[in-house]
Order: sequence, then C-alpha cells, then structure tokens
Amino acid sequence: MDIFTGLINGFSIALTGTNILFCFLGALIGTAIGVLPGLGPAATIALLLPMTYVIGSPVTAIIMMAGIYYGAMYGGSTTSILLNLPGEAASVVTCIDGYQMAKKGRAGAALGIAAIGSFIAGTVAVLGLTFFAPPLAEFALDFGPPEYFALTTLGLLLAVTLSGGSITKGLIILFVGLLLAMVGLDPISGKIRFTFGSIVLQGGFDFVTLAMGVFGLGEILYNLESTLKTEIVTTKLGKVFPTLKDWADSKWAIFRGSVIGFFVGIIPGGGAVISSLASYAIEKKYSKHPEEFGQGAIQGVAGPESANNAASSSSFIPLLTLGIPGNAAIAMIFAALMIQGITPGPFLVAEHPDVFWGVIASMYIGNAMLLVLNLPMVGIWVQMLRVPYGILAPIIVLFTTVGVYSVQNQVFDIYSMLFFAALGYGMRKLNFDPAPLPLAFVLGPMVERSLRQSLLISGGDLTIFVSRPISGTLVAIFVLLVVGQTAFYIKRKTGGKKTPAT
Amino acid sequence: MTHMRKVTLFLILALVAMLAAGGLCFGAEKYPTKPIQVIVPFSAGGSSDLTARTVEKFWTKYSPQPMLIINKPGAGGVLGEEYVVRSKPDGYILYVGQGSGHDLVMPHLQKMPFDPLKDIAPVARISIHSIVICVSGKSPIKSMKDLIAYANKGNKVTAAVSTAAGSVDLVMRAIAKRANIPITTVPFAGGADSTTALAGGHLVIGGGHPSEVMPHIKAGRFRAIGVALDRRDPTLPNVPTLKEQGINVATWGSVKGVAVPLGTPPEIIEYISSTLKKVCEDAEFKKAMASISQPIDYLNTKDWTAFMQRAYKDYGDLIKELDIKI
Repeated sequence: MDIFTGLINGFSIALTGTNILFCFLGALIGTAIGVLPGLGPAATIALLLPMTYVIGSPVTAIIMMAGIYYGAMYGGSTTSILLNLPGEAASVVTCIDGYQMAKKGRAGAALGIAAIGSFIAGTVAVLGLTFFAPPLAEFALDFGPPEYFALTTLGLLLAVTLSGGSITKGLIILFVGLLLAMVGLDPISGKIRFTFGSIVLQGGFDFVTLAMGVFGLGEILYNLESTLKTEIVTTKLGKVFPTLKDWADSKWAIFRGSVIGFFVGIIPGGGAVISSLASYAIEKKYSKHPEEFGQGAIQGVAGPESANNAASSSSFIPLLTLGIPGNAAIAMIFAALMIQGITPGPFLVAEHPDVFWGVIASMYIGNAMLLVLNLPMVGIWVQMLRVPYGILAPIIVLFTTVGVYSVQNQVFDIYSMLFFAALGYGMRKLNFDPAPLPLAFVLGPMVERSLRQSLLISGGDLTIFVSRPISGTLVAIFVLLVVGQTAFYIKRKTGGKKTPAT
Repeated sequence: MTHMRKVTLFLILALVAMLAAGGLCFGAEKYPTKPIQVIVPFSAGGSSDLTARTVEKFWTKYSPQPMLIINKPGAGGVLGEEYVVRSKPDGYILYVGQGSGHDLVMPHLQKMPFDPLKDIAPVARISIHSIVICVSGKSPIKSMKDLIAYANKGNKVTAAVSTAAGSVDLVMRAIAKRANIPITTVPFAGGADSTTALAGGHLVIGGGHPSEVMPHIKAGRFRAIGVALDRRDPTLPNVPTLKEQGINVATWGSVKGVAVPLGTPPEIIEYISSTLKKVCEDAEFKKAMASISQPIDYLNTKDWTAFMQRAYKDYGDLIKELDIKI
C-alpha cells in the first residue's frame, strides 16, 4: 500500500469517535503519570492491560497505550522544571536549566516552551515514522555491542561536561554513579557484587529511587536551610507564557533536538537519555552565551525536551517494523499486541494495515491533543508554586515516597531513597552538581555490559571498536571532543584568555 | 444524656454483632472470598508475565474472585519467590513463575535464601516451552551438523544468550561440551536484547523461547536449527530436536508453574489446581496462549511436584558435568 493511501486509511480509523476518545484518555493518563513521581508508563500500561481485553478492538487499545507512552514524556518535564524532580532518566537534563528558570520566576516560560517543543518534536518524529520507518529500522539492527559501547561512552563524556561546575567534581560524581550502578548482579558472569549479603540489593538500586532521593528529597533538605530563597519563586511569577523572544531563542534548539531525538531514538535502549544529553551539549556549543547554561537558559530546556519526545515517537520504529521492543514501556505495548493475537514486525503493515496506520495517524492527533491539554495547564502548574513551601514540601515527600514504593512494591526502596536524599544533600552542601549521577547510573551498566560483550565477541581484540564504521565514527567523535576540550582548558589556563571558543 | 448514651451503646453493640455475624458468615463462605494476589517474579512483558496475564483473563470465567497481578522482579526471580515463601498461607497469595530457572538452576551455583523444593508448595504446571537454537537467516548454517562443521573449520562460534547461567546459556554450554566444539556465550540483558543482537548479525548463533524468536523466524531473519527439548516443540513442529541431530542435549526449557506458600490448606491447593485445569482446557485460552507462542502443558499438583524434583536433580547433574561456576 502506498504511504498516502495508508495514512488516509489510518486517519479514517483514528478519527472515529471511540478512537479519538481513547487517544485522549491515553494522552490524559500519560500526562498524569508523567507528572506523578514513580509510576512510569511501563507500570501504567501493565495495570491497564486487563482493560484492553474488554476494549476488543486492538487498534483502539494500542492507540491508548501509545498515548500513555508519549504523554508521559510530555508530563515528565513538569515536575523536573517545577520541583527539580526527574521522573525518568531522559528528564534529568531538563532539570538543570528548567529548575533554574523556575527559581527565577520563569517556570511558565520553561513549561510553555517544553510543551511547544514537545509538540513540534513529536510531529517531526511522526512524520519521519510515516515516511522512513522501514529503511531506518535496519539502522537499529546495525547497533551491536561495540556500537553501544561507543555510544554510551560518548554519553558518559557528555554527562560530565554538561554540568557547569568543575570537571574534577563532575568526574567524581560520575564514578559515584558508576559504583552505585554496580550493586547487584554482574551483567556478564552473574556474580553478586557489593550486596553485603543482602538479598534485596541483588536486584540493585532502582533509578526512580535514586533520582527521587538525590534530586527531590535532597533539594527539599537543602531548601529547609534557606526559607528565604524560595520567596523568589513565589513572588515573581511574571508572564506565564513564553514570549516571542523566548521562541526566537529556542526555535533552532527545538528543531535540532527533534532531529537528534528522532535518529537516536530509533536505537533500542537508552535512546531517549542519550538524545537529551546530545541535544544539551550541542545547544551549549552553538550558543553565543554558553555561560548562561546551568543558570536558566531556555535552549537548555527546549532542546532536550524536544529530543526526548522525538525519541519516544521514533522508538516505535523498531517495534512496528521489526518486532523489537526498545524499552520497558514499548515492551508492554509489544505484549499487549501479542495478547491481542497481533505479531509486531515486518508483516504488520501487510497483515494489519489498520493497526499500523491507525496508530501512526493517532500519534498526529495525540500530539495536538497534548499541546491543547498542556498549554492551559501551564498557568495552573505555575500557581502551584504559590503554595507555601512548608505545605508543598511535605506533599512532595508523600508523593515521592508512595511513588518510589509503587515501582517495585518494596519498602527497601523507601529506605534507599532516604540514603540517596542524604547523598544529594551532601552534594549540594559541597557544591557538587548532582546531574551526572543519575546519568552515570543509567549509562554505566550499558557501558560495562557492551564493553565486555564486545571483547568476548572479538576474543579480547580492541580493534573491534574502530574497525566497524558506526562505532569507529563514534570513537572518533569521542577522541575529538576529549582532545578539543583539553586543548581549550590548557589554552585558557596558560593563555589566560577569557573568551570562550565558539 | 442517658438516653443518648443508651442509643450509642445500642448502636455499638449492634455494630459488634453485625461484624461478628459478618465474620462468621465470611468464615463459612467458600474460598475464595476476595481477589487473589498473583506474584510474578519478573517484570511486566516477559513470558512469565504474559502467561500470568493470559491466565488472569480467563480465570474469572471459572472463579468468583479475580486475580490481581503484582510484578516483583529482582535477583533473577529470587526476590519475588522469597516474598511468596514469607507470605501468609491463606490461599490469597499465588506464585506464577515456579520452575523458571532461578529455582532449578541457581541453587546449584550459589546460596539461596530459601530451599526452592522444601519451602514452597507446588500447585500445578501451566506451560512448558523449548529453547530454540537459531542462526541468522543469511547464515550458511542450516543444521547442527553444519554448525559443528563450521566450528571445526576454525571459525569462532559466538552465541547470544539471555543471561549468564540462564537456561539458554546452559543449553549452549551443553552443546559445546557434547558436540565437542568451542562456543563463546555472550550474555545480554534478557531475551529481547539477545534476540535483537542476533537479528543484527552480531553473533553466529543464539537461542530463545519461541515467543521471542517466532516473529523473526516468520520474517526470515532467523533460521531455527534445533530445539533443546526431548520432543519437538508444538509451535515449531518442523524443527528437529538436538537429540534427533545426534547431540544429546535436552533441557526443561522454560517452565511456567504455580505455587503457594507452604502450609496453605490442601483444599485450597486442590481448588486452585482444578480451576487452572479448567482454564487450560478452555478453547479461547488455548487460542490466546497460541498467539503468544506459549504451549499449554498442564500438570496436577502431584505430577508437578515430581517434575520439579526431577528437573532440579537433572539441572544439578548437568551443571556438575559442565563444571559451571559463577
């Protein structure tokens, strides 16, 4: 079937009353769980799976689930900007400048640009999905262990350099993150590491626990010391929506973020995180005022938020065209399709064109719905900051505690969150930027696993990383960045010139 | 005032009486009187989870109370099972995932917080499926004989396996031992990851459950060259077993069994076991299981208990023979 007839057919399915309703339901639920800490899209889809047996029509069920998935990515920016609470790894980068903007009374502009950026990025990615899905799917398969190693190592490098502070402190935090990620089972041998005889620790720490502790609770503990600081947030709400200047500043960040997110999102696993990191790094490099990054630069919100939304849409490419689920939430949608008797993969377009095109068409509609749903909400969210901190903080503590427990139904996670809160508090006191910690925690296991897998495959031969085109290119970029940055630092130290190299 | 007090007292007494009567009533009512919690020791979307959810869908057809699925992943299944072992044996905690491997394989490799044979009560088996050995669709290897010839020519055989010391890893190591060829097993973060890596042609062979590899086999991206079961897998009737191809390797693949905490009353075990039997015989259920490539193979409590003991011993012998240590 021709793409256009397929798409028209898809819209005729997606625009029926029932499907519009379920698309809206999905977008709404997605936004809600994106805002609430803890409960992620994978767990929500799992909870709603029994409902899909009743819905009957598989396309309706999948339209709703897809809505939950990309809707959660939309909602995820809200808590990151308002409360410095990243719900998932891909939102960590948004916290850096988003929260600073909120502190300066520009929460509305940050939320607004995140919603607009997400809408544009979502639409760009769905357009890409419509026209280029099959050829790009093969690209996802080209990523073997050496390519993953090169990509995730590059991600680690970006994680260190993105924080404004000292590189040494960034590296220290990076290694703390890597160490925390090592608790549990060794990914290759299956040996137990750093558990001190505890059975719960065999499962390792959970990302949500770490992020909620270090960011959410850590921030609250730190704020308790200085009640005056929070006044700034509540008094200067300013204009709620982004201004024309904000748009002019961030439009290219949004487009670059969309393109990066689309391509990196196709790669199964870690796509969204790495794309948000890459987008942030690129915006900082392109900016005429890189010193504003970390202090509330709007491009630092617009770029990464667009990237992670584009990535959430393009992660459907390997699912729909190859039958490969790239992450936990997509795996749930995969499961839902299987239970409905539909096998995702190369035959999906031919065997179930209604599902393939119906879901893609619904994504155009869902993205528009999310914009309409989220823009008016910006005003309400900003009002939330008027709530006195003494009332807001305990509510955040309650929600994060419930959220952290809900991830794995384990009381232990609540205790580890408290441990991470202490860690986060200490880091703030000692002027360490916490951002590299959760990123290293997520990327570390991928780096370790892919490195050891590559060496198993090559029999210990290190040239495997440079002899393959994709990993070779990525390694070259890594080396260039390290050499460039080092040269830049040496020049600045010895030459004493203050002008940044752009 | 006294009047008010009398009314209050009367109300309290009435309430107590009602509660007592209610309690007695509930006591007399037949099990189950409230939803049954089903603990799945793996994350949502995996084959154990899919099986549990498919059972859940049909359970209410034969039981007045629904199932409530709770995923408790971690430590390769040990965490979820430990939770069940420590739960109250009142019949409202059910465990789907017995026989998954962590309880049959891991005890031979490391210390466990419980005895998987003695500390939990088996109820029934729902399903069993094979490990399918696959190569890339473009590969010149068409059978196990080809694979052995390929290895004997000095080519390196790398194998994508789901996890270290997992069921696929054991099968690969057993093939290497019995066919006397070197195989380097490369563990991934689960079945979906290892299948994707094989689909990309990054390794020579791989293996997985039919539910994981079937979409790729249908697409021609994979070729199945053997089944590691002592009989052919009903979802892949054309693929010969390893034994048929002269390699004496047959494992229990992936077993989906049901258990309850030790001390659960026998009549409740009987109720669950017989209800599951009805579910397994349901025509719609059979169709649903076929769509997730999960063959139904029901065993009652007695046979399932015997099966667990035998499989446990077999795995122990195999691990000793292959000299696997972690």
